[in-house]
Amino acid sequence: MNSYKLKIITPEKTFFDGEVTQIVVRTSEGNAGFLAGHIDYVSNVVSGPLKVRVGEDKVYRTAAVSDGIIIVSGGDVTILPESAEWSDEIDLERAERAKNAAEERIKASKKSDSEFDMAQIKLKRALTRISVYNQTHTQQ
Amino acid sequence: MASANIKDVKRRIKSVESTMQITKAMELVASSKLRRAKERAAQSRPYFNTLYETIKNISKDNAFKGISKSLKERHALMIVIAGDRGLAGGFNHNVLKMAVEKIKALEADGYKVSVMPVGKKAVEYFRRYNYPVFREYQQVAETITAYDCIELSEELVLKYTRGEFGIVELCYTTFVNTLSQLPKSVRILPLSIDDNTGDTKEEKSNEPESEGKKYSASVLYDPSPEEVFELLLPKYFAGIYYGAVVDSYAAEQAARRTAMESASDNAQEMIDNLSLLYNRARQAQITQELTEIVSGSIKNSD
Repeated sequence: MNSYKLKIITPEKTFFDGEVTQIVVRTSEGNAGFLAGHIDYVSNVVSGPLKVRVGEDKVYRTAAVSDGIIIVSGGDVTILPESAEWSDEIDLERAERAKNAAEERIKASKKSDSEFDMAQIKLKRALTRISVYNQTHTQQ
Repeated sequence: MASANIKDVKRRIKSVESTMQITKAMELVASSKLRRAKERAAQSRPYFNTLYETIKNISKDNAFKGISKSLKERHALMIVIAGDRGLAGGFNHNVLKMAVEKIKALEADGYKVSVMPVGKKAVEYFRRYNYPVFREYQQVAETITAYDCIELSEELVLKYTRGEFGIVELCYTTFVNTLSQLPKSVRILPLSIDDNTGDTKEEKSNEPESEGKKYSASVLYDPSPEEVFELLLPKYFAGIYYGAVVDSYAAEQAARRTAMESASDNAQEMIDNLSLLYNRARQAQITQELTEIVSGSIKNSD
């Protein structure tokens, strides 16, 4: 299989930079897979699992990514999520704590508040991390 | 009389010496913090640069009316970034002075201006002069993450799209080099990419020209350019804000380093002068004592 260059850059660091053969990412229109030679393309990435396949590996490496954008340009793929964590590096306890805090905030604030929207975003991030963690750890 | 003078001078030398120790230490701390601030700014640059390129290309390919709406709202938000601490020369004063000028200009245009001070010195200033404060942040510059900025900017963009603010301006100090820092103001919302290219050029100029050419007009935006743009906007704004906070922090450290350097130099000069004075007084005392002994012995031998 042909490979292409994938870069995952978060505000904190360059999370991944290397050759891959296939990725599956969740965009606002649903899950999308990318193989080598894709046309130029830009889409919104929503919080969810990101699967990366390197070479002829049978297993995909999974990461939890949060809202961002995916850019395909000249065959190279760049993903800019706000945060990214490999599934084996997720701190489940921290994710649970964030989830509980966000839920409380949602209960406490009114729907019209901007605080409500913020809490919702946070809740979604926490839930993504938890679900990615659970998925990959039940498989093994 | 002479011995009292000697004591005084000695005490003063001691006090200047201990002040100098403090200014020396602050100088060292400031220069190491400056180095770290520069590194931090470099870390997040790839992320925001790529965002910037993408948002530029989208708005080049597509003409929107959506987000860059007309200025119907007569409410403006002024974000002012200053330091948390003093003893940095004219650093805080310069940026605050500029912010007040900008606020006056906006008010003259008929805007109601709220202030969002960032940094303890800015917070204290705007509180003292009773400006309407939208929100305040203290002690954040040293530990701020890009993540915090994205949260804040998502909220501000939300408020902007709901029409709570018609204009958002940003006042901060930019780090030119270790010797000079300049206060600067940028209008970030309503967004117009063309205006912003001028402001952000310095950061981007090191990028090769070909970067922009790689995107063709046939890029497929999914689901639509507008929706991609809407998602990008708060992140883009966060990039500017984060850049400004880090920039201002670096400028603060540089200003403090320079101020402390000259304070140490002045202290050294004072010590030199006082030592001279001390030695002279000591000599005078010895001479006087000798004269007294000699004149005493002359009298005795008579």
